[in-house]
Amino acid sequence: MKKAAIFLGMAMLVLGLAAGAMAHSPICTCYDNGDGTISCEGGFSDGSSAAGVNMYVKQGDKTLLKGAMNADSEFTFKKPQGEYKVTFDAGEGHQVVINGKDIVE
Amino acid sequence: MKRIFAITTLALMAILATGGAAVAHFQMIYTPEAALAKGQEIPLDLVFTHPFEAGHTMDMGQPEQFFVVHKGKRTDLLKALKPMEWTSLTNKGKAFETTYKLRGMGDWIFALVPEPYFEAKEDSYIQQITKLVVNVAGMPTDWDRELGLPAEIVPLDKPYALWTGNVFRGVVKSEGKPVPFAELEVEYLNHPPVPGKKMFQKDGLAEAPQDSFVTMTIKADANGAFTYALPKAGWWGFCALGVGPAKKYKDKENSQDAVIWVKAVDMK
Repeated sequence: MKKAAIFLGMAMLVLGLAAGAMAHSPICTCYDNGDGTISCEGGFSDGSSAAGVNMYVKQGDKTLLKGAMNADSEFTFKKPQGEYKVTFDAGEGHQVVINGKDIVE
Repeated sequence: MKRIFAITTLALMAILATGGAAVAHFQMIYTPEAALAKGQEIPLDLVFTHPFEAGHTMDMGQPEQFFVVHKGKRTDLLKALKPMEWTSLTNKGKAFETTYKLRGMGDWIFALVPEPYFEAKEDSYIQQITKLVVNVAGMPTDWDRELGLPAEIVPLDKPYALWTGNVFRGVVKSEGKPVPFAELEVEYLNHPPVPGKKMFQKDGLAEAPQDSFVTMTIKADANGAFTYALPKAGWWGFCALGVGPAKKYKDKENSQDAVIWVKAVDMK
């Protein structure tokens, strides 16, 4: 019985956390540094940090690069040749995909 | 007799003209959009005017301070200011302009400490310390930050994320302390600037049925906080009167005011 209560408490905690995450949306923008590199900045609509969030640079289905947002919620990478897409991946329902051609100086 | 009558009439007209001037002086920092989808270069126009009626635009002196705060970091922009002439519906006034490149995302708070303006009619000075908050991509970083200005309105709602009909709330502060029952003036930018030009558009968006609707006077509560519901899309200016500590300038009275601009957007 006691175990069930603990389990229930934990379930509520998990659900509570998940619900909390639903209330804000992921935000990510990238810009061309003009020196052959691209910088992306991420965060959440409640102002919280995106440090550690996974970042992917893809060309079609091919993943060119996998990295993560640094402590300042920034991610800089070498600009690929041709078309590419950047994905800010903070988990299910919290992804932002940016088309390379929309990334300008 | 005729002459006395004429003089009396003139004198009366002068009194009425002054007395009837319910329009308020407002220092503007103007840019067309407050909430941008991505980083870009934005224009900034510094104009000291009467926004509801787009009337008499005063000559600005060389500003004392103009800077921007982003992610807590302050950047001085005083040297980037260029003098220009602003055209109102009735005159031309000396103003300043610049552009600023917003890189990345978040909030940018622009703040202006103008040179006190001598209002000859009142034989006193007016100094309106003004803030404007611009956001990129919806990431909140600085909008509620207190800049430590001598007279300052600290927003309780994001000044760039307001639907028409929302309330805008703020706290009036003098040297960091709330000002109980502070008196504020509220005005609508009724003749938005013509895009790309240094002038107000001729047609007004709203008509005031009576002078109390041109410059609206509201008061803060016992904690220095005020609330105002925005009835129409566009830019709204809030000015807390005489709350700053500098009560004198060049041996004359000085009203050190705090101004903030907010923008309401229609739900479509």
